[in-house]
Amino acid sequence: MTALGKTTWVFSGGNIPRTSTGVEPEFTSRDELCLLNTGGRRAELEMIVYFEDADPSLPFRVVVEPRRVFHVRINDLIDPHAIPLGVPYGLVVTSDEPIVAQLTRVDTRQSALATTVMPGYSVGD
Amino acid sequence: MGERFRNWSGSLSFEHDRRARPSTESDLRAIVDDARANGRTVRPVGSGHSSVPLVQTSDVLVDFEHLSGLREASTHSMTASLLPGTPLEAAGEILADHGLGMENLGDVAYQTVAGAVSTGTHGTGRTLGNMSSTLVGGRLVIGTGEVVPFGTEAGTDGTDDLTRAAQVALGSLGMFSSLTLRVLDRYQLHRRNVIAGADWTIDHFTELLNRHRHVDFYWYPRRDEVKLRIMDRPDEAVELLAPVREVKERETGQSHQIITNARDLRFEEMEYMFPLERGMEIFEQVRQRILDRHRHYVGWRVLVRSIAPDNAMLSNCNGGPTMTIALLQNHNLEYAPYFDDLEPLFLEYGGRPHWGKKHSQSAASLRTMYPEWDAFHEIRRRLDPDAVFMNDYLRTLFDGEDGGAGL
Repeated sequence: MTALGKTTWVFSGGNIPRTSTGVEPEFTSRDELCLLNTGGRRAELEMIVYFEDADPSLPFRVVVEPRRVFHVRINDLIDPHAIPLGVPYGLVVTSDEPIVAQLTRVDTRQSALATTVMPGYSVGD
Repeated sequence: MGERFRNWSGSLSFEHDRRARPSTESDLRAIVDDARANGRTVRPVGSGHSSVPLVQTSDVLVDFEHLSGLREASTHSMTASLLPGTPLEAAGEILADHGLGMENLGDVAYQTVAGAVSTGTHGTGRTLGNMSSTLVGGRLVIGTGEVVPFGTEAGTDGTDDLTRAAQVALGSLGMFSSLTLRVLDRYQLHRRNVIAGADWTIDHFTELLNRHRHVDFYWYPRRDEVKLRIMDRPDEAVELLAPVREVKERETGQSHQIITNARDLRFEEMEYMFPLERGMEIFEQVRQRILDRHRHYVGWRVLVRSIAPDNAMLSNCNGGPTMTIALLQNHNLEYAPYFDDLEPLFLEYGGRPHWGKKHSQSAASLRTMYPEWDAFHEIRRRLDPDAVFMNDYLRTLFDGEDGGAGL
């Protein structure tokens, strides 16, 4: 299959719930970036996180192998640094290959689990 | 002012007048003689991995890059004499070439032998002591410029007072011109890294320690689960009892290659040592406090290890079987509120800080933690009567003159 999607994806509604209920890591409140590479070449991605009251993050680098999905919890990003919980953030993902990206949220601040799927704004080829 | 020194994590930076790079023991003596004659301070530096200002000086920083390698190795006495600036990774390779291996190593291998020994650097293993405990002799260029052989180099069995002082001395007795370490025959290890539940690991930690040569775990505050790291000799690799969620790594190789890991991600670190029997009780308190108060800005992990007891005067493991808890925080994020909040909890449980990592203790409290405190300092004052090797930070640790070490 040809590489579907775009090379730049923008998500403006990031905000990882600060608290969780239930067994972890299954029920940890989280934002999770879901990446799909339908093409035949590995996609090398760079992510920059934007905040309300601080400079943008240093770049995070992720690889999605050909014809694979890769889900990464924003909570778990650590290199070059952790992303704070409970604060608004925006995310710009750039890739050297067309990909499809979504941001999902699991919110377990109450025991009644809530999930959200956020389509991003796509730019590029 | 001359050059600027910057440590591994970036939290320590200072200007110094001169960086000396001696290549012989005579060079070391000349550096001390010159400093003593001119009332200057000399501080030895290893790889710069420590995050506290042990090496800070505005005068002379002594770099051991040209004093690196093996002096001699003996399969008869099972000892190896290494030059002080030998990186641990190179030491492992050199010893393996001679059919030998170190008893244990820390998590990383870019420290120098002298730096690792002098600060009580350690790995993990219930029956394995820290690196300092393997120092059985050597040669010190002391504060008078004289050379003092100690331990096996002076004809003792390595349990004499001078050796026990030199094993953990923070570079305050003098500069090593060689270190003689107790070693083993070259050996291989099999490493298994697996993801497991935090509750299961806490409940079975003692059993794991008794079952395997090396056991430690990373606890991830944003997942509340652990990565267990277990290493055994291949012929002793018994079945892993843990309910494994995911196998991260399986590998067999020479001991020095398997024990150590590459670390590119920079972090600040605080580590305390505790009596092993209360270890998991303390870890549970730490875990809950981080979940309640800190994980919104702390994403990096907590490392839990064990160490066998030793007899070094200033070793934080000399009170009996020891468990360690290390807090790691990205070097480019705030660490002080995190470490400041956890340190009183560590102290409440009788913790003693790692000498080379962040802590806020000074002489008043440290003195109460070490029964042989006065004996060590009597030796230190005898070997360095003019305080050639003392800097402001060491004065805070040893004399309390600055009233608090601070983070």
